[in-house]
Formats: sequence, structure tokens, C-alpha cells
Amino acid sequence: MCWVCDAYGDPEYGNGRWYLNPKNHSRQLYTLKKPGQKPADYGSDPEATAARSVAEIMKTRFEDPEKFQQLVKEANAMKEKSPFQIGQVVPIQEAFQVVDMAYPVASMSCICRLHSRAHEERNEHEYSCTGLGVGMFKWERWPERYKGGVNFMTPEEAKAWLWKWNKKGMVHILMTFGGSYVGGICNCDYPDCGMIRHRVDYGIITGCLKSHWVAQIDYDLCNGCGICVQRCQFGAIKFEVTMDKTNIDQMKCFGCGLCETACPRKAISLIDRMSLPGLREVW
Amino acid sequence: MAAPRYAQIQIDSQKCQTPFDCKRCLQGCPQSVFQVRAVKVERGRETNPKEPGAYMLFAPYRDKCTGCNLCIELCPVDALTITFPESGTV
Repeated sequence: MCWVCDAYGDPEYGNGRWYLNPKNHSRQLYTLKKPGQKPADYGSDPEATAARSVAEIMKTRFEDPEKFQQLVKEANAMKEKSPFQIGQVVPIQEAFQVVDMAYPVASMSCICRLHSRAHEERNEHEYSCTGLGVGMFKWERWPERYKGGVNFMTPEEAKAWLWKWNKKGMVHILMTFGGSYVGGICNCDYPDCGMIRHRVDYGIITGCLKSHWVAQIDYDLCNGCGICVQRCQFGAIKFEVTMDKTNIDQMKCFGCGLCETACPRKAISLIDRMSLPGLREVW
Repeated sequence: MAAPRYAQIQIDSQKCQTPFDCKRCLQGCPQSVFQVRAVKVERGRETNPKEPGAYMLFAPYRDKCTGCNLCIELCPVDALTITFPESGTV
């Protein structure tokens, strides 16, 4: 069972998925402060706090590899109120559902590519990250984060925009910024996305949980064209030369659905992770 | 099997003054070892990428460095040195 759904899901909404629970899109969550108390749980800048906690873990891996393993284990223990950002991969169909629930929706520049490749996204044609929620109205406060501002979108515009990045081959990852508030849909790839990188290379899984789906190939429909192989950011798809077919390793599959949207013969489908006993605890 | 040898990447910040504006090593590294961060952050104002010293270059993923020295070739101000010390040292 997905631990985030355990903690933040509601069986009445969206099959128990935490990101389809309207409570996690409530603006009350965003602003709720108890009188006389600081919003001390996550600090004034939860994203920076999360980045710092990951940075501290990453620092130990040279000096004390054993401590590094220990810290990663603690980070992956996945408690509520963890200082880490929760991230979960979603296929584009579920990203559309989230866009329909959240308000407002805005595109903005990607902070990971800004740091890792000094890649500047200056206008709405270049923006590759989605911000959700009332925080988008306050972007002027953090111009370093939201370089060039944000571009507000209607749900229809947002869907067309997500499609654009899906076609280019980006994985959609839902992000929280402290707590359970769904604060953004990142469009990510390896290696310039920090979340995918920390998961794939260093085993910090909280920032990039696998989705509720896994891809499955219809062996008879697949003609071995290999288009899906280049779409996979996680190395789960391999071309089997002797069989002249592609093969998806479902243990490695993150369920992003990029291969499904690209397959010209509709040979790939997404199936529910919970329907496979061997994958129920693989997140 | 011997313990892995990690690259030591020295960045001379006196020579490398505007890494965000130059970004040659950042975009040329096949392993994406480098990161750039704004170090002069002012509330409500974007940091100017052309201002010397406003951004700093780091190598947080240096354990992925293969020692291909592409970044050294790309660097216009010779600010980078890469060494692979004996295993056991960090």
C-alpha cells in the first residue's frame, strides 16, 4: 500500500489516491496557522528546508558511507511530517485530474535545471514546471525561484501544455512542499532533475515515489519498433534483439506512462500496481 | 575489489566569477556533476547572472565524475582542477 495514500488519502475520493483527495488541494492547508504559533513544522521555506536535508545526507556519503546508508534509510522510513518533499510520479491522465481539481494553475521555470545546467526559462514558451495553489499569487517574493514570473493557465491550457511536455518525453511528478498540499507538477528527466537523480543514483525514494500504475506490453501487438525504448527515463525498457520485441521490466517501471502515450500500435497499457501481488509494496 | 576513488574537484572561485553566465562546464559535463547556486540573494530581487561573485559553482555529484576532463577543456578561465587521490581519502 502506498504510504502517502495511507496518511493523506480518502477512500471516498479518487480510489483513495492522496493527490485526488480534495483536502490536499484546500487553500486552508496552505495558509493554516494556529494563533500564537509559528508555522514551525516546515519553516518559512519548506522547499529550501527539504533541499538542505537532502544536501546534508548527500554530504555524508564521502565522509562516512555507513552513516550515509543510515540517513537514507531514515529518510525512506517515510513518516508523516517528514522534512522531505514527497514526490510521486503520475501518468498524464492523473495529472489532468489534478489540474482539474487545483486552483490556480500556473507554469513557471524549473529550479532543478536552473541549478544543474544553468538553464534559464524566461517566458511561458520555455517554462517547464507547473505550480499549483495560492502560492502562485505570491511569486514576486521569491524571484530566484520563479525567474521571470509565472504564467497562469486555465485547466484546458494546462492540459495542452502538459501534453506538449509529455510528447517531448518528460515524466510528470507531483510535488509537495511540506505537508500534504499538492504544490506542483514537475516535468522531469534524468539527470537534470534532482528528484529522479536522488532516487535513481542515491536511493532517496521519498522525492520520487513510483506511480500507482505499471506499464505492460501486449506481446502480440508489439512489432518491435522501439519507439518506447528512448522514452523511458528509468531504463526499464529494453529491446530484445532475438525476439524482435521490446520488454518492460515492471520492477524498474515507474508507471509514468510515457511509453504508453508514444506507442503507435497501442500495445502498451497501464495496469494498477495493486493488482500485481509482487509490486504492491514496490514504490 | 579496491574501494572506489572519488574525484576531487577544485573550483577556483577567484577565476570563476560568473558561472551562471558562462555555464560551459554545467552544460558540457556528461555526468552533470556541477551545480550553480545564487549566493547573493536579496528578497524580492533577481540575482544578476553577470555580476561577478553573485553565483557560485559547486560539484555536489563529484562521485559520478569519470575524469574525462571535458570541463577543463571547456573552461575559458582555467578555474578547474580534477585529481583522483588514492582510495580511502575523501
